[in-house]
Amino acid sequence: MRKISLMVAGVAGAAVFGQLSAAAPERWWAPGEGRVFPASLDYANEHGTLRVLVDGGPMATKGHPFFEPLGANGRACVTCHQPSDAMSLSAASAARRWTETQGKDPLFAAIDGANCPSLPQDKRESHSLLIERGLFRIQLPWPVKQWNGKPVTPDFTIEVMRDPNGCNSGPNYGPGAGNISVYRRARPVANMKYLLAVGFPFDPKQGFALPRDPDDGSMMSGNIMGDNRAGNLRIQMEDAAHGHLQFAKGLNAKQIARIRDFEMRVYTAQQVSKQAGALDSMGAEGGPMKLKNSQPGALGSIGIPVWSEFAKWEKISPDDAKTLTPEQLAFRQSVARGARVFRDKMFLITDTAGINSRIGFGNPVRNSCVFCHNMSQMGNDVAPGQVDLGTTTMPFADPWRDLPLFRVTCLKAPHPHYGRVIYTMDPGFAMTTGRCADVGKITLQSMRGLAARAPYFSNGLAKDLRGIVDYYDRRYNIGYTEQEKQDLTNMMSAL
Amino acid sequence: MLRFFLTAAALVAPFSAAAAETVRFIACPIYRDADSGKKSGCWLSDDPATGTRYDVSLSPHKPDWNYAVMVEGTVSAVPSTPCGGTVLDAVRTSRLYDTPCTRHMLPAEGFPGRRFVLPKRNITPSSVARPVPPGPYAERVFPVYFEFDNDFLVYQYSDYLIEQASNWINAAHPKKLIVTGFAATQPEVISGRAMAEPADLAAQRAETIAETLRRLMPGIPIETAADTSGSETADKDADGLPDQSRRRVEIRALF
Repeated sequence: MRKISLMVAGVAGAAVFGQLSAAAPERWWAPGEGRVFPASLDYANEHGTLRVLVDGGPMATKGHPFFEPLGANGRACVTCHQPSDAMSLSAASAARRWTETQGKDPLFAAIDGANCPSLPQDKRESHSLLIERGLFRIQLPWPVKQWNGKPVTPDFTIEVMRDPNGCNSGPNYGPGAGNISVYRRARPVANMKYLLAVGFPFDPKQGFALPRDPDDGSMMSGNIMGDNRAGNLRIQMEDAAHGHLQFAKGLNAKQIARIRDFEMRVYTAQQVSKQAGALDSMGAEGGPMKLKNSQPGALGSIGIPVWSEFAKWEKISPDDAKTLTPEQLAFRQSVARGARVFRDKMFLITDTAGINSRIGFGNPVRNSCVFCHNMSQMGNDVAPGQVDLGTTTMPFADPWRDLPLFRVTCLKAPHPHYGRVIYTMDPGFAMTTGRCADVGKITLQSMRGLAARAPYFSNGLAKDLRGIVDYYDRRYNIGYTEQEKQDLTNMMSAL
Repeated sequence: MLRFFLTAAALVAPFSAAAAETVRFIACPIYRDADSGKKSGCWLSDDPATGTRYDVSLSPHKPDWNYAVMVEGTVSAVPSTPCGGTVLDAVRTSRLYDTPCTRHMLPAEGFPGRRFVLPKRNITPSSVARPVPPGPYAERVFPVYFEFDNDFLVYQYSDYLIEQASNWINAAHPKKLIVTGFAATQPEVISGRAMAEPADLAAQRAETIAETLRRLMPGIPIETAADTSGSETADKDADGLPDQSRRRVEIRALF
């Protein structure tokens, strides 16, 4: 019945907006189905319709390593990177999948789809972090190791202060076994040319030139993974195949090439807004086609301003306005204002490593959202985007009782903003570099297709788009007006 | 060859005694919440010896209001209208992370701050083709500068200087590079404190720059060296600040 309802919703949307491509198929892509991925695919979500484009599509998925179950647990890449969810996975989809399969879907594999493998796997509460906040368990080596297995000597110690799930204090998955377990959202596998783009040859946050790709010698963007532990797609794929698919054999070169080929061809963005209508109408340039056709890596402040896709909606002509309902007109104007607020509303950014230290912008520094979300069309960081917003680290983070809490003690210089002792639910980038100065830094990600993939931030801190705005407002004491909050929320729903 | 001699002479000649008035002191920074758009807030700091309030906002590496700064600057004659302090230009503000400060923010009080303009030393996007630097290509030295007690690349300053160097080196194809780190290890009393950089910072600076050069120019032979003499130079990119010139790395291209 649910499937029928979605189909009906999709058809109704098409009748209203005239913009939808072929009616959406079954939302859930199970491994090994062998469907053909159309060149354009639409999925309804609570804010409207997401579109997924495959450049050069349609594409057969039968036998394709992104779509086939490769490892021991029956998952494929697509299990956690669902087209309907902007190639990520929403908590709502996880919850729906639990209900539909009584928890038998490979999505809930004990390795990372459970709060801990040691918990009884047939119980829903053992998977609560995935079902309620879309979080997967990420098991990282401790002490820190580089992507190539080389050990890193951390300049901090780490102790487990709270372990509600048993993984960090038990014998098999925590520090005693050479691991730290953290919990993170799946990042979207789409619009990849933007995430790989290099705008400048330096990483100003780390104070070095960008590192080189070990495979092809090109400079690496540092924007693929939340903790930047994989600098290129091959390393990311191998990490995921091992850690999420339990694919002991490992990907071969042909499989890596095919996955890369798909990931470089898939684009996604919200195409239709329930309230505004088609996001590429009346001069607006929403939707994934613009993404597909644009050059990646441009800095918005010296080129195409971030979210200027909606600039034409700032001044909708009276004649055009007559063709819209009052609600559509108001929503379009709100989206356009939201883009302006995003770029122009200044606030003081304080005590945020990656911005206020070690780089010398000053602490505090006055700027707006586009200071970091600065890449045209995407809103990720042109530079490697490792920044500590405080989403995982006390006192800024919300005190989630169902996540582990670690005490990090800096052995050399204290952290410039937290001091010598830091309490964090996820050390983030520090688990890659081994540096306490990097505790809590999480790589900024793409802002496209947000409407399809709640909740937000690496640990699902914001349950909806308004929650993102509210977090920033209290973290930086911005003082958004209610109108500004609504405009920002509406604008993000249109990305 | 003449160019090398001129460059080398500039690097070793001490600053002229007739240079403009410079100040050097340690104090807590004060943030003035002026608002003329992005990055427009003011940084002020009071010299404890004279009580003079200086506007240090033009420093490429700005203060952290939780820590003291070592201020080094040239007193400018321009009016204090942007921020409400005697303007230092050029100026450096090295963060002293071992000296906590009570954070203090002043309201704008009518001061507008400065509207942000892109610094003259900024890197163009990688997508923009770099012009090939003109020859002749012969032995040459490129300096890179740092904050006090720090080997971190200063954004829109050190990175720019390194990129200028790497563009030239890529065109010139020298046989190898010798990267020498310098540290100002001789103690000097500043605002009542004996300040000196640690000796191992010289080697650390050299390695930091060498690593960045390896990433920018894979395969080029690079040797590193350390010099703790803290010698001054008169290089223009030290902006007339003798103490800035002592905290440097020299990239020497040999043919």
